[in-house]
Formats: sequence, C-alpha cells, structure tokens
Amino acid sequence: MKPFPQWIKRQLPIKEINEMNELLKDSGLHTVCISAHCPNIGECFKNKEATFLILGNICTRNCLFCSVKKGVPNPPDSKEPEKIADAVKKLGLDYVVITSVTRDDLADGGAGHFVNTIRAIRNKNPKVRIETLAPDFNNNLNAINKIILEKIDVFAHNIETVPRLYESIRPRAMPCGSPHGEAVGRQADYNNSLNILKYVKNNSDILIKSSIILGFGETEQEILETITSLRSAGCDIIAIGQYLKPTKGCVEVREFVNPDKFDYYADFAKSIGINAVLSAPFVRSSYKAREIYEEISNGSHVA
Amino acid sequence: MEVMLPEMGEDIKEATVSFWHFDEGEKVSEGDDLVEMVTDKASFNVPSPVAGVLSEILSQEGETAKIGDVIAIIEEEK
Repeated sequence: MKPFPQWIKRQLPIKEINEMNELLKDSGLHTVCISAHCPNIGECFKNKEATFLILGNICTRNCLFCSVKKGVPNPPDSKEPEKIADAVKKLGLDYVVITSVTRDDLADGGAGHFVNTIRAIRNKNPKVRIETLAPDFNNNLNAINKIILEKIDVFAHNIETVPRLYESIRPRAMPCGSPHGEAVGRQADYNNSLNILKYVKNNSDILIKSSIILGFGETEQEILETITSLRSAGCDIIAIGQYLKPTKGCVEVREFVNPDKFDYYADFAKSIGINAVLSAPFVRSSYKAREIYEEISNGSHVA
Repeated sequence: MEVMLPEMGEDIKEATVSFWHFDEGEKVSEGDDLVEMVTDKASFNVPSPVAGVLSEILSQEGETAKIGDVIAIIEEEK
C-alpha cells in the first residue's frame, strides 16, 4: 500500500461514531457515509449529519473508484421514504442530502422513489432543505423532470472525472444483470452528465452542483477543462476532492494531489464565475453541503 | 473504559495501529490524540474518549485490530 501523505489524516471520534451508528442501525437505512467508507465520518457523525443512500445498497454500475456493492439490486423498499423521513426527524436535520445507487433495472431509474422520499421527508419535516445527488437516470428527461417538479433546493449530479478517464474508471463492464439474466448496467457518459446539469439549470430555479474526484491520473489541463465545462453547464456549486481507494477491488490512487493544488483549482473555478467552491483533499460531494448551500443562498461567497 | 474500534464502513473490517501517542501509565485528557490508525482508505487519529490513565495498550504498533476489538483500556479519572 502506498503510504499516505501527512495531509491524508482524519479524526476518528469513537463515541460520536458509535452514537450515530446506533441511531441509524434500527432504521435499516443505508448511508453513503458507511457504504462508501467515507473518511469524513468522524466529523459529520459528530455533527449528526449523514447522507442517505436510497433504493438499496446495490448499484447497477461498475465505477472502479466506488466501494458500493455492484450487482442485481432488490426491488425498492416502499417503506423507505417514511423511514428516511423519521430518521431526518430523529436526527433533527434541517438540511438533508438524498442520494441513491444507480438503478438501470428500473424503468424510471428510481426517480419515482426519489419523489416519494422527498415528499415523505417534507411531510414530517416541513422546514427541511433538500439536496438530491442524483444518478444520470440514463439521460431519461422524464425521470429528471419528476425530480425538478419537487422544487428541491439543490440538484447535484457528479461528473466525477475528466472525459478521457471515463472508459477506464467508469467502464462498460457490467457484472450485474436483471432477475432474468440480461445485463442491465449502462456506461456513464461525460456529455450526458453535462447535459443533465444543463437541462436542470435551464428548466428550473434549483441550484446546480457537481463534483470532481482527483488522483486518477488526470492532467491539470484536463481538470481546468472539466471545471470550465461545469461552468458552461450552469453549475453554481462545485466540490473537488482527492480519490482514496476505499477497498481492494478498486483502482489504485495514481496521485495524492497537493493541498496547494486544490486551492489553485478553487481559484480558477471562482475566476470563471463559479461562486461556491469546495476544494480540498477530503472534500466529497456532500461534505459541508448545508454550509455551502447557506453561503450561496445568502449571497456571500465561500472563501 | 474500553476503547473499541468503531464501525466506519460497510466492508472495513480492520485497521492497523501506526503508533500510540502515549505510553501505558500516562495520563490522557479527553480529546487528546490517543493513537494513529490506518485503514485501506486513509489514516486516522483516534481522540481519547475520556480523561484518565492509559492503563493498557492491547493492540501494539504494527498490529491489526478488527472492528469492535478493544484496543486499549483507560482508567477514568474519578
């Protein structure tokens, strides 16, 4: 294993992590914090913050940076929206991020389940702000429209990496299949993802957010181009973080990007007009989601 | 109190002790960095959950502890 540079170090507060695990255990819910082995778990769980992973914990895509299980998912749990709404209440959250595995096996990609979850949360927590971190729904605009109509506060969809690396990092190889045996997983597509962001921007007043993971071997030029593409697509918020290999089957870290470089990309993003930028090794898509939302909606920019 | 390695990821089963910031018998305050541990994903400082005396280290430097293992015992301040 490649030794970690000294900046790849987090706190692991045992008591607070156990408390949060205990709170979430009984609900049977999944969080991306646990499913993706997030290194920020100490900080977020201490603040009683978590990002819920809906539509099960098995994904039909095969992205090589991700530790979420791949394969044939179970049918969606119709009780899940209520369970999430209850957990949001129990945790006293005023800002909640809902994400999901990709469900290429469902006709609407799970958009209906997102809608049910959003409504259930609001029903029990009328004041809560909601951010969805959505999959690409196979570019199905009807599915995306369903989510837009819920007038969520932030629509996030991650571009993840630069176009050249899509084939190797988010490959077509599909270990998954439908219950009838045929492969159902699709390949992620850089331009599709940009188009989704653009579509939501042009058809709603919702804030648009996307994230880039560094450390796969992308060049500086490629990163600058990707940030520029996100700006052209209408992104209001971007998050840039370091890839950390979560588990054995995943791709190796090619580079630990220096923290100074993250500042440089943040400065660049701001210089081309992206107002809210989080860029540092431990930034993940939902990291400080509430803070960055509040800063941008108050009209002040994030330093 | 028993210092137990908490669950930190779905398939994270263990973490390796890099080094202890304290020796057995030393006093620790709540929140002091007690031990540095490494998983496949990153390295972590584990803050002491209580104030007291680090009475016993059960996972030595270089050893691997499983999730749920007690890695040390701290005799709490009365």
